[in-house]
Amino acid sequence: MRPVPEQPWGRILLGVLALLTLLVGGWEWYWRAYGVRPSIGNTLGLWAIQRRRIDAGEGNATVLIGASRLYFDIQLPVWERLDGRRPIQLSFEGTSPLTAVEDLAVDPKFTGRLIIGVAPDVFFSGFAYRAGAVRYVRKESPSQRIGQWLSMHFIEPYFAFDDPDYALQTVLARQPWPKRPGKAWFVSVRKLAQTEADRNSYLWSKVETDPQYREMARSIWRQDFQPSAGDPPPEEARKTEKEQIDRMGKAVAKLRARGINVLFVRMPSAGEYLAYENREFPRARTWDALLAATGAPGIHFEDYPQLQGYYLPEWSHMTRSEAERFTTALYGIIAHDFWGPGAAGSAHTPSSAR
Amino acid sequence: MVFNSLTFVVFFACVLGLHSLPLPWTTKKINLLIASYLFYAAWNPPFVILLWVSTVVDWYAAQGMVKARRATTRHAWMLLSVIANLGMLGYFKYGQFLLDNFSALMAALGIAYQPAHYDIVLPVGISFYTFATMSYTLDVYLRRAAPAQNLLDYALFVTFFPHLVAGPIMRPTELVPQFAQPRRASAGQLRFGLALMTLGLFNKIVLADSFLSPAAERVYDGAAIPGALDAWAGTLAFSGQIFCDFAGYSTTAIGAALCLGFAMPDNFRFPYAAVGFSDFWRRWHITLSSWLRDYLYIPLGGNRHGARRTYIALMGTMLLGGLWHGANWTFVAWGGLHGMYLALERALRARFANYRPAPLVFVLLGLLTYTLVNVAWVFFRAKTFTKAWLVLRGMFGQNATARPILSTFYLVSVAAIVGALVLTHWLMRARTLESVVARAPALAVCAVWALMAFAIIIAQGTGSAFIYFQF
Repeated sequence: MRPVPEQPWGRILLGVLALLTLLVGGWEWYWRAYGVRPSIGNTLGLWAIQRRRIDAGEGNATVLIGASRLYFDIQLPVWERLDGRRPIQLSFEGTSPLTAVEDLAVDPKFTGRLIIGVAPDVFFSGFAYRAGAVRYVRKESPSQRIGQWLSMHFIEPYFAFDDPDYALQTVLARQPWPKRPGKAWFVSVRKLAQTEADRNSYLWSKVETDPQYREMARSIWRQDFQPSAGDPPPEEARKTEKEQIDRMGKAVAKLRARGINVLFVRMPSAGEYLAYENREFPRARTWDALLAATGAPGIHFEDYPQLQGYYLPEWSHMTRSEAERFTTALYGIIAHDFWGPGAAGSAHTPSSAR
Repeated sequence: MVFNSLTFVVFFACVLGLHSLPLPWTTKKINLLIASYLFYAAWNPPFVILLWVSTVVDWYAAQGMVKARRATTRHAWMLLSVIANLGMLGYFKYGQFLLDNFSALMAALGIAYQPAHYDIVLPVGISFYTFATMSYTLDVYLRRAAPAQNLLDYALFVTFFPHLVAGPIMRPTELVPQFAQPRRASAGQLRFGLALMTLGLFNKIVLADSFLSPAAERVYDGAAIPGALDAWAGTLAFSGQIFCDFAGYSTTAIGAALCLGFAMPDNFRFPYAAVGFSDFWRRWHITLSSWLRDYLYIPLGGNRHGARRTYIALMGTMLLGGLWHGANWTFVAWGGLHGMYLALERALRARFANYRPAPLVFVLLGLLTYTLVNVAWVFFRAKTFTKAWLVLRGMFGQNATARPILSTFYLVSVAAIVGALVLTHWLMRARTLESVVARAPALAVCAVWALMAFAIIIAQGTGSAFIYFQF
């Protein structure tokens, strides 16, 4: 038998439990004092739960796939109140919807309606911060599924510190370490949203109420507005845009061939972010080309007065109350002009616009 | 399931609860067996069939050997076991590798041959449990061990979840006898077992995954060309990562077994304080080293047939040991480098048999060993030879166009953690963890244990797999 060192192990274990409770309690108190509240983790496992709903009898649902704007700015409870059914939210922050749309395009169980969010810098560059979600659904092990369930029922609803933004190494890494000469300094995106169990998400109130935090969020976006050494050459960027549009065109053609309504939505942005998008991804070259290539209808926020004038504290996402108002307005346009009884359904620029 | 997951926490609590109930010993063993199958099925349920195949084939092969009256029959049963185990390993682990090399050979001969892609998922831990089961039939064949008395004990030996997927590679003589009598951990064993599990998970979640892995990934998986500082930092980070990951797994496994009242052998003894490579392999992945020694090096002749045959056996063992780690020539190169190191050391020891280094020289030889171990790690970590040469050139200051890759934070954390790790190995070189814990003040043990547990919680591990699961 292995030797066990002579120690008062019973008293030691009690001491460990007491000390651990104090330390964890202190850590939780610290982050709550900073304004953090418990939020369900925005994990691949949580995404997989929603994706599986399509295979488990809800294939005729409305599905939302986009980047963070469609994710944070469409409020599922509001949509449900208006529509009678809660949509399935499959958006992922900083991630092109292309792979998830391609996955739905070849899934015969999906027979519902699809709203695809367009955030130009993510959509047309093919950037995928959360790549691998589709593959994860197929490969998720029973252990991972159980772990996801345990975490979202017993840990995440109760502990505010359980967020990747407050993980030990992340907190240490963002301390003001001396800059290494020649090494570009890039600050990662901080916590922006709160997430619920069915992936209904909304902008974290701190972004709205804390001017310092809001300014930091803006400064993080600003990093992308300047040219950097890692940017692809213009001709390569154009080629990528065309590839993204072509692939989306093929996926949408498959979906529409099955009678599925597909609708693109260019979600609002503001301030320096909007200026950057208009400069780097001009509408004629990107949005218009996308609609022309796919033949699907689209809603561009600039075409609808009802979709303008919302408050986006860090230029990219709305506050929660604004997102609720926006959802109502967007749903109204969709129901009236696209999917409602008697709607044209395929008009690029509906009569109520402009 | 992985040790560093919520699923395992709940699973282990249930297993401990069941094991402490006043049930007959056979019922408890059946519980452990079912739990172990669930542990394995939690990755991919169909692969449990492979465990059953391996268990049943080797059980009947051993029985056949015992009952056989002729040497050829015994030999045939042994071959059946070896072919079945190596066949499974070959099919799942080396199939694509063999096909790729065959098509490359054909291409070199001017024959265009493009096989279909071999889309097979590697069953977790297959290299570990095939080696464990093979040791059973080989020991019975070589009359080094008697066969297990019943199938339940044998199946539990193969499947026992603490060692199933990444070792320590147990021998039947070490574990099967422990199933003969009822076992239940004492209060001290249970608590020390929990402390060991905390230490193992701290190594894995906090040190390996949170701090060292990102630095190694940035250097080895990125497109940037590393300079000397980044190449060394990335490689040192990997040396720390792989130790903390694998030793962390072994420590957790030993702790989990101890909580249930079972003993498992040490798999690591502070290897980065090794002086020389024979010393290193007595300290690194000890159960694999001894397996390779007993079932490969000695059957290949060992040191019984003169110097030339010894070097051939040594190199053959290390090359195959490298290949065991992964189906890639980079692993073979890693094994080959260690084979060369061992051969060179052997030659030097023969030439300078009476040499006894002074204390400072002893430490310098240790640092030289660690440095050469790091050079070998480059081939282990790099996915291609191109990348390995790029990092090696960086380590020797030959990448003129290199730009900084790692931020100050990563450089500082790698230096602090790896520095502390190597220093700890030197301080612990001739000691055991148990002896140090026994002499430490209870308050210090309590504080260190609590701080490690706290760090595990706030590091918020992602449940990433242990590196050795892929081997």
